[in-house]
Formats: sequence, C-alpha cells, structure tokens
Amino acid sequence: MAEEKTMIENGEIEFKERVLSRRELVWRAFKRNKLGMFGLYVLIVLYLMALFADFLSPHHPYEQSLKHSFAPPTKIHREYKGERVGAYVLPTISYVDKATFERKFYEMLFPKRLVLDVFGTQVEYEIGKDGVTGFSFMLDEEYYIVPKDGTMKYAGSTTKVVDYLLFGYDEKVLTKGEADIETSSEAAKDTYFGKYGFRLGLNSPDEIEKVVIKEKLNMILVKKGEDIEMITGKVIDYDYKTYPVKWFVKSWGGDAKNRIGYLFWIFPFHYHLFGVDNYDNNEYVRLYIMGADQYGRDVWSRIVFASRISLSIGFIGMFITFALSLVFGGISGYYGGIVDEFMMRFSEIIMSLPGFYLLILLRSLLPLDIPSTQVYVLLVFILSFIGWAGRARVIRGMVLSIKQREFVEAARALGFPDTRILFRHVLPNTASYLIVAATLAIPGYILGEASLSFLGLGIREPSASWGLMLAQAQNVTYMTKYPWLLIPGIFIFITVLSFNFVGDALRDALDPRSLG
Amino acid sequence: MLKYIARRLIIMIPELIIISFIVFIIMEAAPGDFLDMYRLDPSVSQQFLEKMEKELGLDKPWIVQYGIWLKNVLKGDFGYSFYYRRPVSTLIWERVFATVILSVSSLAFEWLLGIIVGVFSALKKYSIWDKILTVVAFSGIALPGFFLAILLLYMAAKTGWFPIAGMISVNHNQMTTWEKFKDIASHLVLPTIALGFGGFASLMRYMRGSLLDVLNEDYVEFARAKGMPERVVIYKHALRNAINPMITFLGFSISNVLGGAVIIENIFAWPGMGRLIYQALLQQDIYIVMASAVISAIMLVIGNLVADVLLAAVDPRVRFE
Repeated sequence: MAEEKTMIENGEIEFKERVLSRRELVWRAFKRNKLGMFGLYVLIVLYLMALFADFLSPHHPYEQSLKHSFAPPTKIHREYKGERVGAYVLPTISYVDKATFERKFYEMLFPKRLVLDVFGTQVEYEIGKDGVTGFSFMLDEEYYIVPKDGTMKYAGSTTKVVDYLLFGYDEKVLTKGEADIETSSEAAKDTYFGKYGFRLGLNSPDEIEKVVIKEKLNMILVKKGEDIEMITGKVIDYDYKTYPVKWFVKSWGGDAKNRIGYLFWIFPFHYHLFGVDNYDNNEYVRLYIMGADQYGRDVWSRIVFASRISLSIGFIGMFITFALSLVFGGISGYYGGIVDEFMMRFSEIIMSLPGFYLLILLRSLLPLDIPSTQVYVLLVFILSFIGWAGRARVIRGMVLSIKQREFVEAARALGFPDTRILFRHVLPNTASYLIVAATLAIPGYILGEASLSFLGLGIREPSASWGLMLAQAQNVTYMTKYPWLLIPGIFIFITVLSFNFVGDALRDALDPRSLG
Repeated sequence: MLKYIARRLIIMIPELIIISFIVFIIMEAAPGDFLDMYRLDPSVSQQFLEKMEKELGLDKPWIVQYGIWLKNVLKGDFGYSFYYRRPVSTLIWERVFATVILSVSSLAFEWLLGIIVGVFSALKKYSIWDKILTVVAFSGIALPGFFLAILLLYMAAKTGWFPIAGMISVNHNQMTTWEKFKDIASHLVLPTIALGFGGFASLMRYMRGSLLDVLNEDYVEFARAKGMPERVVIYKHALRNAINPMITFLGFSISNVLGGAVIIENIFAWPGMGRLIYQALLQQDIYIVMASAVISAIMLVIGNLVADVLLAAVDPRVRFE
C-alpha cells in the first residue's frame, strides 16, 4: 500500500515520497505503455461482449431464415417519402432468380394504405380500418424476347398473386400500373431460349439481345378477415409498412435446450440492446448489422456467441497447461531423477511431431459427430496436452537455476519440507515469466481452436465459433460475393493482437529495469 | 561434428518407433475403422466385409497389427492405403515432394525477407519505415494463417493475378521444363505467403531486436572508433553476431511451417502431406496416417539437426562434445 510521508521541507517546495508496493510499480509501468492499455481495454470490451452475448444479439444465433440466405447488412432508413423519420428497416428477401440463376436481394414493399381510383371515385383502404387485414396484388406477367434486330417478340404470360412488391424490381406497378424488368444475362438468354426459342424461330441463345418481363397490375385484393374484395382500379397514393429499429427491444430469449437467451445463464431474458420492432411477426423482417450467412443466420449474433467459445477456450486451456507444467516442471527440476527423465523424453517426443499433426491426430480420438459441448471439452484437453510439455521444460530450467540461490538454501537450513520450499519459495519466483508467457500463450489456444473448427474438426454447427464461421467463407464464390462472411476473422485478429499487446506491455512492466 | 550428427541420427530411431507406436495407439483408440462406411451400406454383404477385414489385417489384435507394420516398414514397405488401394509409399512420395517444396519456399521467404527487413528496420530505428514495419510485424503475428490464406484467395479471385488452387495447371504435361517450373512457381506464391507471413513477421522483430542489441556492444563501438567504415561495421561485425542467436529459432520455425501446412494445403488444395493426413484421418486410413506422421517427424528431426549444425558452423563458440 502506498505510504505517503513528507521527507524534506525545502523552502516552499514540499517533496513527498511515495513508497509503492511492487504491484503498484508494475501497474504504473504498465499504464505507461499505450498499446498495452489499448489492448487491455479491447480485451475488456470483448470479454464483456461474451458475457452479455444474449443481450447484445438481436437474433437467435441458431435461428435459420432461408429467405435471407447471404443477405447483406440490412439497410437502415431514416427517410420515408422525403421526410425524415425515426430509423426503420424494410422487410427483405434473398432468392435465386429463376431466369438468371443469380442470387437476388431486394427490399420488400408490404402495402399499409392504398388510395384507389375506382371508375372515378376515390376509395381509401388502410390496414386496421374498416376491417381491412391485408392486401394482395394480382399481377399479369408477360415475357418478351428481344432478338438482335430490336423487335420485341411476345413469348408467354402468367398471372400471379403476391402479397408484396419488390423495391427496384416491380414496385413501379403501383405508380405506373406496369413495370418492365430487363435482363441480358447469359443464363436468362439460355433459359428463355430453351423455353420459347423454338416457337419464336430462334436458332441459338446468342440471337437474343435481352429478355423483358412486363408486370401489369390486374387487380387488387383487399382482405377483410375471411372475405376478399377484388378491386380493379388505379393506385393514386400508397403507404408501405416500415419496421422501426429500437433500443432495448423485447424479442427472442430463454432457449432452454441450448441455454441461450439467459442473463448469466440463469435468468431467462428477452430484452436485447437493439433490434427491430416486428409488430406483425413478418418473417421477412430481420436486422442484420453484419449480414447473414448461408442459412440466413445473423452473422453479428453468431460472432457474439462464438466469442464465448473462442475467448474462454484460451483461458481455460492456458490454466490447465500452466498448472500441469508448474507441477511437472517444478517436480522434475527440483527432484530430478526418474520423473525428470520421463518428462524430458516425453516432451521431446511431443515436440518431434509438428504441432498441428498431433492436434488433428488427438482429435480423431473421439468421433467427429459428437455434440459441441463435448468437442469443447476435448479441444481444451488436446490444446493443453500439446502445450504443457514445452512449458514444463522451461519451468524445469528455471527451477534448476533458482534451486541454487541462497534463499532456497536458507529455507532448507530452516528445515522446511521440500514441498513447501518448492511451492512457496521456488515456484513463486517463476511468476513473472509465467504471467507473460501465459498472456502470450492464450492466442495460441484461440488460433488452435479456430483452425480445428475451420477444418471441421472442432466446434460443430449449429454452434458458432469464429473458425467455424470462417469455414463458410472458404468457398471462393461465397467470399467474393458475400465478403461479410470474413468478419469473424477480423475478430480473431483483434483478439490475438490485443493479447500480444498486453503480453508485451506486461513483459516490459515486469522487467525490474523498468520499475524505476 | 560427424560423430555428433551420427549420434543424433541414431537417437532418432527409437524416437521414431515410439512416435509411430503412439500414433498407432491413437488410431486404434479412435472409434470405428475404415470399413465402417461399408458396414453402413446395406448392399455390402457380410462375407465381403469379413474378406476385407482379413485382407486389410483388421481382424488381428492391434499389437500384432503394429508388429506387422513395423516389420514391413523396416523392409521399406509402408503398407497399403485402404482408400486409394495403392501402396502408401508410392502415394506418399509425391505428397512429400509437394510439402517439401512448399515448406522450403516458405522457410526461404520467412528467413530471407525476415532478416533483410529486420536489418533495415533496425538500421532505420524509430523512422517512419520502422514504425510501419512494426505495425506490419504485429499484424502478421496476430493474423491467423488460415485467415490470411482466405484473404489472399479473395485477392486472387478478385484480381486474377495468381491461380487459386492446386499445384499445377491443367495443361501442365504439355509444357516445356521452363514453363513447368514457372507454372509451379506461380501456384506456389500464395500458399508460401500464407504459410510464411507469420514467421516472417516474428523473425523480423527478432532480427531487429538482436541487431540493436549487438549495435550497443563495446566491440561495435570500438570498430567505429578505430575509423572502420560504417558498412563494414554493420555487415561484417554486427550482423554476423546478430544472426547467430536467430538460428535457434530455425527448428521452431520448421515445426511451425510443417504444422501450418496442414491447414494451408487444405485451403489452397495443395497436394501435400498435410492434406493427405487430414483426409486419411477422416477416412481412418490408418497406414497413411502412420506414414505421414512418421515422415513429418523425420522431416522435423532432420530440420532441427540442420539448424544445430548450422549454428555450430556459424558460431565458433558452439562446440559439440
């Protein structure tokens, strides 16, 4: 503890000497290191994130939504028809276009209010008023093929009934009464040539310049409970549904099977830091701040939950490794003999297999399809098992040299038992090495887990781990089209970097020369 | 020196036997065996399974299996791959070749660049270049190899500068020798960077620290004081002494490169041993796993030996008893 006492009084200036304990000295030296402090803050934030994962994730991390496969980060709007309003999102859909075989992504227009001109009279319908429960549109879809000569050839038509329109695709149906969708993709040409080419007298898909789909509004269906009113008319004005983005939203929670959605794993908890107010349970409404993966799961929520695995495995593994290596290294250094001999040979053998080979070999001890919780325990065990031999050698060396020091001799002269000398006098002297080595070792565990999960040998779906999430990005087409799948890697990078900064700062701070 | 090398090589033999024994135990302790996928298939008859079991030697107790394997290995026969239905030795040699190419190029990349850039960074201490390189080094150490590999793939896919998978192009066989060499080299670039970047980053930091330490020594000051040109002081006196302690890292970096190759080879579809052992493990193709483990251990032990010999060669203070 800091003692303050006035040493000398020299005129007006009062010199004060503060006697700092070793811990305070180290902390003072650590605080001087800006990168170290930065790393420490980042780590605190990351661990808080892991602790409050349920609170921070707007979606259930395992909840699939196949209508949002590979959805990009959801766009948050602040303007509605030119007016500034509170933040809101629109329902979104992701699907593979039947003509072009490309994944398309659109925001959706679900009508809320329609003002129609029915043969000269203006009629207004709004959901919730006059018993109106919803709208549908009956659309006539006509397909045209435009050959190189520029003529437009009619190919076919269908009629479809939809609940929504798509922004940037066919939402013009409402204002203009019809919408043209043109495409000149090779896949679309092939598809339309295959369907209609022969009938239209075309010889190859190359003769097609483009394909045009015309959508026309045929009828509007106004749903009133069980009844449906069919109305033909022109749309004068419309409003569409928006879903406000809010802080502290009540949504999913309390999934007892996976123990997810709890506060501190005990109290079921349904509130989340942010989220979208999905007032009518629209399945298309999602809030992806970092996009969605192949199964439409929220990448951010999964990252947050994955941080639990990735961040805890480092600490637990490190503790086991260092406990083992302290005991074995200490004993073999202090007593020597058969334990020493066995340990040295053992660590030599472990070290003569490349680390990752040993890792995947040991992983094959249990089948691949065991549940994630068991994999987790196994991974901790494997990672610590691989690490401890090398560490024990270092500690053995240190014990060998500390053993020669006078204070150990003194302790022995006082008649202390060997175990007391070893555990109370010798091993505590390795503490500063241990603290630094442990901090710098944690990234190794995190990377080991991530690499194994990346190869599909670690944590399994639907559980999330940063490495496992990156495995989806391994596919070249996925990663170029949906780069947000790479975000988990950035989290690994930041975590490892922070641990390295903190470790370096600790090493400098614990160096007696820096205490000053 | 020769005596030392001979002794190290002789010690290697029992070590390898123990390693192979441990690997065998692990493989035996792992649930199921290679025939499991046939057992699940209802169209495979019981007689066929029994015949296969006999043929593959899976019906004998494991210790006997191990004895037979060891005896055959001493005769140079590494057994038979269940999956590929080819002798393991023919299968593995081409893989060893690919892994050795990748490892050697990564090591060369790590060490050459690590030392050159480290020296540069030390000589330009606290300059803007030094600061940039420090940032690069810290990022390189923190960047997981597989993530870097994915990023490189991303870059290659976007720009098309480098091929993204495999070791050779489709038309490799029609090429002239020079073209073949260029073909492999262009395929080699990305895996080499992905595998070696972490090592490069840490070596660069070590080199920088080591050279800065040496530059503070008295003999460097003395050399300067007697009017020796700065170039000679640095490259003849300081650098040589700074490199010596680095060589102890060579064994460590060989182990890292061999281990890291497992994952990098999988990402870049590089036909090396890491990929082979990974697939063999999934298929429980036991003799491939054994052979890969033993060969990787041999490579590591030889690599360590080379590192020690090198250390003795450059540092007259190190002598072997």
